[in-house]
Amino acid sequence: MKLWLLPVAIGALSAQSFTQRGFFETTALVYPQSAPNDSGHVVGEGLLRYEAFYKLLPDLRFAGAIDARTDTHQETDRSFDLNWGLNWWDRTRRRPAISVRRLSATWTRGKLTVEAGKQLIRWGKADVLTPTDRFAPRDFLNVVDNDFLGITALRATYATQENTIDVVWSPRLTPSRVPLLNQRWANLPPGIPIFELAPDYPGGTQFGARWSHTGFAEYSLSFYNGYDHLPLFRVQPDSALLRADIQRYYPQMRMYGGDAAVPLGPVNVKGEAAYFTSSNPQSDEYVLWVLQLERLAGEWSFAGGYAGQATTEQRSAPGFSPIRGFTRALVAHAGYTIDVNRSVAVDTVVRQNSKGLWVKAEYSQAFGQHWRATAGLALVRGDMNDFLGQYRRNSHGILTVRYSF
Amino acid sequence: MSRGPAMLSERSLTVAARIGAATVRERSLSSSRAPVLLFAIAVTVPALAQDARQIVEESQRRGRSTSQRYDGVLEVIAADGKVTKKSWQSLRVGSYGNSKSVIRFTAPPEVKGVALLVINHPDRSSDQWMWTPAIGRERRIALQDRSTRFFGTDFSFEDLEERDVNQYDYRLLGEEAIDGAACWKIEARPRQSKTSQYTSTRVWVRKDNYAAAQYESLIKEQVVRRLHQTDIQNVQGIWTPRQLEMTDLRRTGRTILRLDKLEYNVAVKDDDFTIQALRREQ
Repeated sequence: MKLWLLPVAIGALSAQSFTQRGFFETTALVYPQSAPNDSGHVVGEGLLRYEAFYKLLPDLRFAGAIDARTDTHQETDRSFDLNWGLNWWDRTRRRPAISVRRLSATWTRGKLTVEAGKQLIRWGKADVLTPTDRFAPRDFLNVVDNDFLGITALRATYATQENTIDVVWSPRLTPSRVPLLNQRWANLPPGIPIFELAPDYPGGTQFGARWSHTGFAEYSLSFYNGYDHLPLFRVQPDSALLRADIQRYYPQMRMYGGDAAVPLGPVNVKGEAAYFTSSNPQSDEYVLWVLQLERLAGEWSFAGGYAGQATTEQRSAPGFSPIRGFTRALVAHAGYTIDVNRSVAVDTVVRQNSKGLWVKAEYSQAFGQHWRATAGLALVRGDMNDFLGQYRRNSHGILTVRYSF
Repeated sequence: MSRGPAMLSERSLTVAARIGAATVRERSLSSSRAPVLLFAIAVTVPALAQDARQIVEESQRRGRSTSQRYDGVLEVIAADGKVTKKSWQSLRVGSYGNSKSVIRFTAPPEVKGVALLVINHPDRSSDQWMWTPAIGRERRIALQDRSTRFFGTDFSFEDLEERDVNQYDYRLLGEEAIDGAACWKIEARPRQSKTSQYTSTRVWVRKDNYAAAQYESLIKEQVVRRLHQTDIQNVQGIWTPRQLEMTDLRRTGRTILRLDKLEYNVAVKDDDFTIQALRREQ
């Protein structure tokens, strides 16, 4: 190192800072009823999540997060075959035993922020359904209790106090993880053996842009061009083997969306809508929208609204889309903070034609500085031809114990 | 006037918490342009000291700084005596009604990284956003929701903001001692009642150093929160309470906030007080 660079390096070192956090949690899910493709009644899961943040320079930061998992129900790969290619893109059928949730560098210069690498990107304002949240694939192995997946992207954000422009480019699609065929959250037609072929992943890139404004009201416009992170299925009957072969594929998608939040009298009104088109001849074109009211009052929090859907072009491919499946429904949340350590919450989705119902009630309590236990009950009811109702044998109890550090 | 930790910033420590920059600018302007007037003001200070607004303005003047940083150590004490500990880091830039602050939790571990951005305005209520790393989204705290407790403490979201002096009407109620120190007792009523959960606030300003010793916030005629400020020290020339005890009289809970590593006039950038900064500084 040249001597004249030494003061610069020392200055850089003095600006360094490191923070970390994480948790280890174990979850037990108890299903009183067996499912046609799953006789198990109890599922145990363990997750260790570790996140670290390092500020190398005042304008340059690094963030990393890693997940280590295991479970009793073959939801997680146990081979520890670290196929970093698949794991990095989160394209494995099961959850990886070890996966990189986040690994990114963030550079800031004035009002411009650029983040490159694996990261979590959230768009939209609504809580009950976020149609514009296009860069947020999820792990749907448990359809009603899911978690977001990171994506690999380059994100540039230019933000003033009132306006923000957000541009995202992702080189490859990270798909949502769909239910395993031999487990209860996959609802298969009875009597037909199913064989799953290797999925057909798209090779193209994704691009999105969002402009948002903050004032008395907050509103945004967003655009996305890429692929749906939720799959459609090609189904091919194999008469020789007396089975049906299915293959997941991810159709091209373009989205035009917007969201807004306006305080009106005693409540906050939030709305979000998106119109989806596709060049794929099998993919529907449709509008998803949500309108919700919310209020915090004393120890209470309330949010409730309606999630709607209008299909403008009906096509034929079968698919898996919890996002569309939770529409045409009334959605509500109520929470109550008992004290600084204890809270209760109830969430519910009721199909407008009353053919589907999901209700989840939970109680959560912290113990000391590190421990928290959460116990809940989830009730699922409805008709078999309803997205929610098809899981009517999946009502369950849930107990989670978490140690945060 | 601000009653919460953000108000700790410079003048929160003083009564002037909600006094605005506009008033300060007016005073500075008068002083620099009119030496004769300045003399007149100096002569009449003892008389003006009996005027509530003048007391608040003087308190503000003494508490002024360009920025502030501290580590807050909190004890939340429930009605049954159970104690929960939390901590946060607070950073603030600007003064009075034009200030901006970020509070970021550092403990307990399950809320580490949760942050609140408060952007104060001279002529209206603040804007507030909360960042929750677990869901990766910021959430605006709507005006009508600001009476809610802030993360289980006895501070409400509104208590974390500062307001301009011009948003209040003041009245001198008398004189009372707090912790043995003689104080002026002042009533402040928001001019736009819909912007505050409180009907009025009473403030006790110490006569010896113009620091605020106590606040009481009322809804109608009932005192609902009391903020008792103690251990008042001179930090870089600013009389600052190092311990604040907020009591929620409806719940009988209280929160004690201790200010550690308090510094004024630290180097901060305006760009560190944006929603984008909330996200990247997690």
